[in-house]
This record gives sequence, structure tokens and C-alpha cells, in this order.
Amino acid sequence: MGQSILVVGGGMSGVSAALEAAEAGYDVVLVEKNPYLGGRVAQLHQYFPKLCPPYCGLEINFKRIKSNPRIKLYTMSEVTGIQGEAGNYKVTINQQPRYVNERCTVCGKCGEAVEATIPNPFDYGLGEIKAAYLPHEMAYPYRYVIDPSIVETEDGTKAKEACPYDAVVLDDTAKEVTEEAGAIVWAAGWSPYDISKVEYYNFNSSPDIISNVQMERLAASGGPTGGKIVKLSNGEAPKKVAFIQCAGSRDVNHLPFCSTICCLASLKQATYVREQLKDAEVTIYFIDIRAMDRNEDFYTKVKADEKISFVKSKIGLIEPGENGMLVLEGENTTTGERFKAEHDLVVLATGMQPNTDLSKIPADMVYDEYGFVQAAEGIFGAGTVRRPGEVHVSVQDGTSAALKAIQVVAGR
Amino acid sequence: MATKAYDKSFREEVYQNVDSGEDVKLCMQCGVCGITCPLRGEMTHGPRQLWSLIRAGKREEVMNSPDIMLCTSCYSCKVRCPRGVKVIDVMHGLAHYALEQGIVPRKETAKFGKAFWDSIYKTGRVDETEVPMRYTMMAGPIHGIFNMLEMMDIGRALLAHKRMKFKIGPGLPPSKKIRGMKGLKKMLDKAKSMSPGKEG
Amino acid sequence: MDKNQACYLCKGCGLGEALDFENLEEVLGEAGISEVKTHDALCSPEGVALIQGDVDGGVNAMLIGACSSRVKNDEFNFGSEVIVERASLREQVLYCSEAEYEGEEEAGEDRQMLAADYLRMSAVKLTKSNVPVPFQLELEPETALLVVGGGVAGINAALAGAKTGVQVYLVEKEAALGGFLGKMAKLAPETPPYQELEDTGLTELVAQVEADDKIKVYTGTTVDKTEGAPGNFTITLSGGDSFRCGAIVQATGWLPYEPEKLAEELAYGSNPGIITNVDMEAKAKAGDLGGLNGVAFIQCAGSRDQNHLPYCSAVCCTVSLKQAMMVKEANPEAAVYVIYKDIRTPGQSEEVYREAQRKGVVFIRRDEDYPKISESGGKLAIETMDMTLNDTVEIDELDMVVLATGLKPNNPKVVDAPLVALGMDQEAAKKLAAESKAQCDDWSVLNLQYRQGPNLPTLKYAYPDSHFICFPYETRRTGIYAAGTVRRPMRVSQAVEDATGAALKAIQAAHAAAEGVAVHPRSGDMSFPEFAMQRCTQCKRCTEECPFGAINEDEKANPLPNPTRCRRCGVCMGACPERIISFKNYSVDMIGSMIKSIDVPEEDEEKPRVIVLACENDALPAIDMAARKGHKWSPYIRFIPVRCLGSVNLVWIADALSSGIDGVMLFGCRHGEDYQCHFIKGSELANVRMSKISETLDRLVLESDRVRVEEISFNEVDRVPEIIAEFMETIEEVGPNPYKGF
Repeated sequence: MGQSILVVGGGMSGVSAALEAAEAGYDVVLVEKNPYLGGRVAQLHQYFPKLCPPYCGLEINFKRIKSNPRIKLYTMSEVTGIQGEAGNYKVTINQQPRYVNERCTVCGKCGEAVEATIPNPFDYGLGEIKAAYLPHEMAYPYRYVIDPSIVETEDGTKAKEACPYDAVVLDDTAKEVTEEAGAIVWAAGWSPYDISKVEYYNFNSSPDIISNVQMERLAASGGPTGGKIVKLSNGEAPKKVAFIQCAGSRDVNHLPFCSTICCLASLKQATYVREQLKDAEVTIYFIDIRAMDRNEDFYTKVKADEKISFVKSKIGLIEPGENGMLVLEGENTTTGERFKAEHDLVVLATGMQPNTDLSKIPADMVYDEYGFVQAAEGIFGAGTVRRPGEVHVSVQDGTSAALKAIQVVAGR
Repeated sequence: MATKAYDKSFREEVYQNVDSGEDVKLCMQCGVCGITCPLRGEMTHGPRQLWSLIRAGKREEVMNSPDIMLCTSCYSCKVRCPRGVKVIDVMHGLAHYALEQGIVPRKETAKFGKAFWDSIYKTGRVDETEVPMRYTMMAGPIHGIFNMLEMMDIGRALLAHKRMKFKIGPGLPPSKKIRGMKGLKKMLDKAKSMSPGKEG
Repeated sequence: MDKNQACYLCKGCGLGEALDFENLEEVLGEAGISEVKTHDALCSPEGVALIQGDVDGGVNAMLIGACSSRVKNDEFNFGSEVIVERASLREQVLYCSEAEYEGEEEAGEDRQMLAADYLRMSAVKLTKSNVPVPFQLELEPETALLVVGGGVAGINAALAGAKTGVQVYLVEKEAALGGFLGKMAKLAPETPPYQELEDTGLTELVAQVEADDKIKVYTGTTVDKTEGAPGNFTITLSGGDSFRCGAIVQATGWLPYEPEKLAEELAYGSNPGIITNVDMEAKAKAGDLGGLNGVAFIQCAGSRDQNHLPYCSAVCCTVSLKQAMMVKEANPEAAVYVIYKDIRTPGQSEEVYREAQRKGVVFIRRDEDYPKISESGGKLAIETMDMTLNDTVEIDELDMVVLATGLKPNNPKVVDAPLVALGMDQEAAKKLAAESKAQCDDWSVLNLQYRQGPNLPTLKYAYPDSHFICFPYETRRTGIYAAGTVRRPMRVSQAVEDATGAALKAIQAAHAAAEGVAVHPRSGDMSFPEFAMQRCTQCKRCTEECPFGAINEDEKANPLPNPTRCRRCGVCMGACPERIISFKNYSVDMIGSMIKSIDVPEEDEEKPRVIVLACENDALPAIDMAARKGHKWSPYIRFIPVRCLGSVNLVWIADALSSGIDGVMLFGCRHGEDYQCHFIKGSELANVRMSKISETLDRLVLESDRVRVEEISFNEVDRVPEIIAEFMETIEEVGPNPYKGF
């Protein structure tokens, strides 16, 4: 088959698009910014509503990629330029140096030798990781990365000397490559909204105010606490946990749209707390609970837990109180009561900002006012760059985008 | 027993006659305004409940709610409302509209407003001694003096910091008028004639 | 094929220092592999070159004793004609076993025995493996698609498929294309700025279908019969026409929830002014919205209700917003209310909510109780709890009350509430649920001529079963993809995407059938089950248990396999009591022989042996990760990866116990309603089979504690050593297997 399909983004929608096109017999170039595939879902502890680990499905997908010669993978790479038109694109890809070549066996010697640490990007900065590291325990490609900050230091030399396999390449450089493609699927995903912008939540005032993506890392066995849900201020188990819905979403001052997944994410995270901490109480502060279609069953199940309560109120203020507690103020819109409630761990259900709002596609594209990509000829948005959505919608969207791309290249 | 509600006439009245009244339509009843307000302890309803009452057609409750005259224009709610409702504008708008209808939901606010207005109208400035004196004396001479005695400590402190001049009573001695008082009066009269409310 | 075997052992990553390689070479020699080479880093270009040199020299089957089979796959891939078996010496020997026990010498010995056993097993596996030959259909593989259902999903699937150049047959039971889209007046806003109602676009869609010479449309037609398998389905239509196709998209849409069932709660039928959202849409389409001064919409009319539809129908909020806006457009003065529990306008639709508010629609939040609708003075009135006023209120002067009723999958046999009915007696509810499920499964639009029934097997609420988070398109009938609202409630724009994706899955399935390879989850696998029919006893277990209905039966109950329907899980192989089902590279004999190749020490050596049959999708990675994390466990454990726990044949347990193995564990994934098994039924079947194993154990006079099934999730890395330790304790309590030494 003549022309390739270029897929940008190796998260759920990008991986789906790449695989579905490749398995239909088309050549695919997959470009991922991180040193590993899987995107945001790789950082999740569990999926709702089944409460199953994302890696179960990712493992299958990686197996499919490993056994499919039609997929050419670039990690640590970004698309910086697109020339041409539908059916005939020239795409410039900028690949950052990994400083570790394919000889790496993940023996771990370089990590042992290096002393410097960096904030762990995989844990949303919650923990530190050695500057020579495996991005996470189930990373694919399964290979170490050396942080550029140590390359020219003594640590860099130590890493190189420690490697028995000659896999550390300190003079690795950024590369620019060009790929030709007939169609492009843009599946660059989302970023958690910068919640410090909602200033009345005082996000930086206490380590016990965390975002929902950080909560996933706290609960994950590979996370900074080994899967223990604790207050980061003192390492103790929380007793009264609050989830604040629409933290930045459905708000014309921040993200005017509904991020769609945060209700279910908080319901799910409430089960993490209840599973681990039998005495902990959970309160979910909400405007509307949006448990769409069959996810309603999950809401019903969570509601049945007596230790999980629901208060219809958008929280208007979070302030550190006495004894390490956090004081939340809100108006219970059912009773009309204006209340102050004390919690020792507060999870902000921050929304999804499309990455196309933060960084535009280097081509002539149309976006809505929130930065979501609109339909175009030859370049197809897929997943959360098109609209916020849960995992299965990203899979569906990736598959659909793959077919649209195939329509462009088929028969050429 | 169910109360009759959602007669549409009052909400239409508000949408049409109150400054930014149509913004009330956009409220999604999240409650953030009520918590943002520095006077949240003083408010009976708060903006959210007022909007809800407007939609439900509860004219009496809304027009007589002291809350609509409590707003200090701090802007917090207006800045934070996730629906972009211009909360302050609607609150002031409601107050104006109530006064226009001859309803005075919160007499103290109206009185203070009058004292404030009188001071500006007469001298062109807000005299820090004059305004509170006039305001307290509105309660009548005896109550007024008792009220003033109660606030003596604050008065002393203000005097000590030269934030207030000594006076023995309203207009004793009279405050200095600003230059160009005539021109200001003209402007104020014109503004008054354009405003839907009367004073305050 | 003539096998030219060799073994390559890696000394890297610490293996060289930890193991006695001379001993391992001896072990391999005894196992029949005399050609053994070692390398300090087998995965390095130099190591790979060493192997490649031998491949060029004729080696075509090799055992690689190095790291886990989950890594370095590119390096150790020498083409599809070369068999590669991997023994995971790094993860399953070096990482997880202690170098030495405190004060004892024999640790090294245990570790060495562990490595030796893995090599023995891999050597057997290599000897018994053959290169798979892809299955070829007898007839020329067909690539055409059948799309059933001519609504928005079906039309889009047909167009999407045709635009890639394949032939599409589009079958619609009504006289015209359109489905529910044809009954709609407008669509809710879908494009920026998400404020204007939109045309349905149906006319253009139909025009596109008609203009496409790759699409053949049958209206007023249903499918009488679907025979065959992917790449070679034969479809017979109600009109008598018949054609072949390669794969199928079923986009048969939804049914409105019956408002008659809401007669009690919402007075449906008592007054012509009480209508459903479907009726309302018809009125709007007929231009019949004038003269309405007061309208109330009641959300969740029968949805999110344990007595009706327990799930959220997903579209009703947006539909009511749209209809409310239409009322307002017809008469801006009208009083319009939406009485809701939660307004659900996900994504950009939040702007639709705001737009409806701007237009003056008033929203009233209710509680769980339905509002009471009554008649007063020729108009309607509603009494409802108003949560924001915290009061019960009455709204009167209404001309119309619209019930926002929900969606059911299009299957007339769906029985609603009893599927769950929380309040019901649990036994009765279960019985009713089973009956209703059976009815749903018996009714079909495709009328599949499958031994397991004519319909796509259904999950809860009669929606087709699917691995609905990671692999939403997977139904349990290979090559047949459900799309749109027949799969789960969804709005029009989502159904369009869903259908487009389903078209690709169908194209892919036909492609895979032509190539003779598996589709998801073992995509590209060329092996397939072969039946040694002369030994078949017609017990029907394989035909009943196949999760994908791949095996038909003849009139004498002989299995008739359809390899292009097969997903290669091996459930049939696990089910067969006569062990007649085998893959070229996976068989009952192979695993049985591997188990028997384990060296079982005498009882007095006090070195028990336990095997773990582990699902290779979830359990095996969890074991790898646990080992890498530094967890240690008993060196008496031997892991044997299996395609799926469903492929575990009971004879393996018997093989193990009769050869002196002290215990057997099965590691598989969660089953039940929230199953994780990629083959849907595998782990469930394994559990059922194991529950019956006590009989076998009794016959052997063995304790049932010796066999255990454990559910283990991919991320339960820390549980791996715990489970093993606990089982080893049990085995110690039970004592050595009396069959040792026999």
C-alpha cells in the first residue's frame, strides 16, 4: 500500500488509530511526545466503571504493536511542521535525545550509579525519580531514559560507566526527520487544567489539596506512596476526604465546557478511599452528577455506600484551618445553608484542557473557542482534542479517525 | 401542601426592568456567589437564592429581601460566577427597582445612602465626620446620641490618626465645600433624573 | 518441517554470575538440545548477529534462555519461519529467587534447579511446536460489508466503508432510509458556537448513499438468514436475494421506552397534553408547536429508575433542551420548564444548556420522586419538589407536559425493570433476568445460523456484550460489529463516529479472514485450532463453551469449526475431555509434557514443587513486574503461561499431581459482571471447571487444597508474593504429594 498514515499522540486514541489502520493493512507512523506509549491512561490506577487496571488493555495493544511490522514508532518526538495537502503531506518530526540506545536491557545499573533526582513527571511531580530512569514500571518501549540535566555532569559519566552494555550515549542529539504521509490523525490528548488559576481553591497552600490526576498516582501501586492514600503533609491516612467537582470546568472564567469524565473519576476515586480506609468518610461536592448511560449503575453503587455523601454545592473557598485541617466553604443549594466543613484531604476534580488549546497543530486548522479541533480534510482530530471524553470514546474516536484517514490514502 | 410558584410575570418583570436582570436566567444554582460574599454572614438569601426566587415568581420575598441592599460592590461574586452573571449589577438593579416601587427592603441602608448623598450634594465631598453623624442622628436625637456614644472608641481612634475632624454636631462647624460645587450639582441633578431609582 | 534446534543462553543482567551454565548445558543436552551457545549480552547487536549467523546456517527452532518473552521482541524475531521459545531466566529465576538463604548453602541449588526446570519445559515446548500455517477459506475471501439498519449509524457506516472502495449492502426494514433521524425535526447544536439548532442532514446523507455505486440499498427488507463466517458470510434477505459478504455492521438502533409503563407515576395516557419526547419531536417536525404558552419537560421519565430503566439514557437532557428551545423559538413568550434531577450536558453541550437558559427556559431541580401531574381548568398542573427552593411547588397553566423517556436497544424482547429490580426477591429477580436474557438472545435481526443462537450475546440491559472500556467494538461474534444506539445509549454525533469506527473494524475482520490470521485480541496470530475428529465423542463441550460461537454442530453433534470466527483463545482445547483439539504451537500434549518434564525431587529432600498456570495477558506481566520490583518468592514455584485460563485442560492438573507436583495454582483475571478476560468467558469457565475438580482429586485420593484459582489483576504486583507465600504454607500443611516417585 502506497501512502502512510501519520498518527500524532500515543495515548488511547492515537494507539487505537495506529493499530486499527495497521491491522487493516495500512502503513502507520506513530509519533509520541513522551518516552513511552499509553498517554494519560497509563497514569491511571483503575478505569471506571469496572475498576480494572488500564495496563490490562494497554498490554494487549502493545503486543499488537510489537507484532505489527507496519507501525513505525517515534517516541520523545513532536511534529513541528506539516507541508502539503490531503493525500500528500510532508511532516517534520523533532525527536529529543534519549541518551540511551536499544542496547539497554533495563538492568538498572545506571539508575543505581546516578545520584541526581528529578521530580517524577509520571507522578505529576509528587515524587522524585533518579535522573537515569525507566519512565514507569510497565513502560513501553521498555528502555531507560537519561534526563538532559545530568548529561554534562559527573552523574552523566557515572551512568555511562555503570552501563555494562554500552547503552548510554551521552553525545546523543536532537534529530529532525521528515516523513511522508497521505493523511494525519491528530490525537495529542489533553492536559489537566492548571488549577492554581482558580485562586479561591488555594491549591498551593497545602500539600493536602491535590488534583484528581495526582490522586490516581497516590492510589497506584507504582506511585509515589506505593499505592497508599495518605496526606502528603504528614504521611498519615486521611479521615475525611472531600472531592470538589467542576474545579475549573463548566466555568466561563476557566473551562466553559463540561470535562465529562470528572464525575465518574471522583466516584471511582471515592471507591479507592473506601477500599483502603475503612473508617474514612468521603464527601462529594457537586453541581450535577453526570454519570452518563451505563455508568449510572456505578453511581448507584457508590451512592449506596453510607460513608460516601453527596452535597450539592460548588465549593467557594478552601483555606487551611487548625490542626492541619482544610476548611471548605460552600452553600448547600438544597437546604440553603451556608456551611464550613473540615476535611483533611481535598481532591480537586480538575478538568481536561485539550492540548490543541495549549499548542496548535502546525497546519491550517479550525478550532472552537475552547481549542477543540474541528473537522478538516486530510487531518483528523481524534479523542480528547475533539471533545472531552472517557476511554471507550477515545477508542471509538481513534478507530473512526483511522477510517477517515484510510479513505484519503486508499487506492492511492 | 404545595405552594403556587413559577408565575412567569415577576421574572419577566425583572428581566425587563432590572439592570442586567436577564443574567438571572443563566444561573445554574451552584452557590458560589453566596460563599464569595464578604457579607455572607449577614445575608438571608444570598444572590443564588434570590435568583431562584425570581424565577419562581416570589415577588414579595425578593423585593423585601434586605440582601439586595447589602451588596458592597466588592466584585468577588461577579468575578467568580461560573456563568458570568453580573451579580453586583443585578443586586443594585434590584435595590433600585425596589426603591422605585416604593419598597425599602433595608431601612438602614437607605438612611445611610441618604446621609451619604446629602453630604455629597451639599459639599461635594464625603465628610468622614459629617456622614456618620447625620446617619446616626436619623434615629432621632436621643437614640442618635446613645448610638454615637457607643461608637466613641472608634471616633477617638480616628481622631488620633487624623482620619476625622472634630465636630460637635452635624454641620457644626460646616464642612468646606469643594470648588466648582455648582457644576457638580448640575451633574448630580442630571444623573438623578436619568436614574431609575431615587437615591441610595 | 525438519527442525534444526539450538539454544542460546544469556549471561547478561547478572545471570552469568548467578547460574552454573555448564550444568544448564547438561540439562539441555538431556532434553535433546545439544547445540547450546552462551553470550554475555544476547540482545546486543553482537548477540543477535551470533544467532542470525546460525539461522542463516539452518537453525530454524531455538530456545532463548534470557529475559521475559515480553521484552526484546524485535531483537529475537527471526521471521515467521523460525520458531523462538523464550525461557525467562532473568525475571522468573534471577530476580525472584534469593541468592542464598541465611546460613544455608542450598539456595544456589534451588535457584539452579529452577533455571533447569524452565529450560526443560521450554525445550519440550520447542520440540512440540510447529510453524503455524494460516487458515485458508475454501472460497475466494469476500470483502463486501453488510450493514443492517438504515438510520444515522447505518448510513454512516455504509458511506464510510464504501469510501474506502469496498462493496456495501445496506439493509433497512422500513420503506425508506433514515430511522429515527428521519423522525427528528432538528438536532441539538453540535458545531461551534453550539447555540444554533441544526438540520438533521438526512437528505444529503441519503443523496450520498444513492450516488454511491458501491452501496446497494435494500429498503423494506430484513435479514432472513446469516450463514458462514468472516470472509465468507452468506446472507439471505426477506425478499429472497442472497449474497456473500466478509463482515457485518449491525446498526439497528433503539426503541423508545414504553410510556404506557409510566401511566401510574406520570399519568401518561390520562390527558392528550401529556406526551413523550418522541411525540414532541413529531409535533415539531410537523410544525405544530404554535400556540403553546406553557410547557414542562420532565427528565428521567423512566430512566435512572430501578423500576424502569436503571441506566441513564444519555440523550434526553440534550433532547429536552433542544425541544424547549424549539418551543421558545415558536413563541418567545411561552413559559418553559425543565424539571430535572441532574442536567447532563457533557463536553461542549454545556453551551447548549446555557443557550437554553438565555432563551428563558427555567430549570427546576427535583428529587427522586416523580412530579404529580394533574388537570386543572382545562390546563395541566405539576406538583413537584423544588430542591433549590426546598419546597413543594405547584406549576399550573401548562398546555403540555413532555416526558423525557429513554432509550432501549432495539430488541422487542427486552424486558425492562425486572432485569435488575432491586426491591425484588433476589432469586425471583435472577430467574426473571435469566428468562428475559434468554428471550433477547433468541431474537435477532441477523438470524445467525450459529449453534449458540441467532443473536449477538447480550450483556446487562440487552446491550451486546463487549469489552466495553478498552475494546468497545468487540462483540462475541467475530466479524460482526454493533454500532450506534444498539450498543449503548448515545447521541447522534457520537453514533456517527461509532459507525465510522465499526466500518473499519468490519473491513479489518474481512481482511484478517482473507489473510488467515486472527483479529483482536490475538491479532495476526496464524495458528488456529485443529480437531482430530476420529476421536471426538460428540460431547458438545467445545461447541457450547466457545465464547465466540465459532463452532457449529452437524446433526450428529460433531463439531464444525469455523476458523475465521475463532479468536484463538483455546477455550475449546481446555474444554475437550478427549484432548483432540490442538494448535500448531499450543496443545494439551505440549503443556502436559512440559509439566511432566519438571524434575520432582524425592519426598525426603523436602523440596516441594508447585506449578502456576498463568494467563499471559494479565498474570504473567504482573509476575514480571513483581520480580523486577524486587519481590522474592519460593524457588519451588514454576510458572507456565497459558493463552487464557479458559484453555486450561483438567488433564494438566491430573498430569501435575500424578507426577508428584505438590500443588497447582491458576492465575487468571476477574470474572463476573465486570469481567476483564479478553476472551470474555475464559476465567469464568476455568473457575467452573476447577470447582468440579474435587471429584478428580478424590479419585486420586488427594486433598482439594492442592489446587487453587486466584484472580489477579495486572497491577496487583504486590499480591504476587503474598499469594504464593500463602499457598506454599497451605502446601506445607497438607504435606508432600503421595504420588512422588511413582
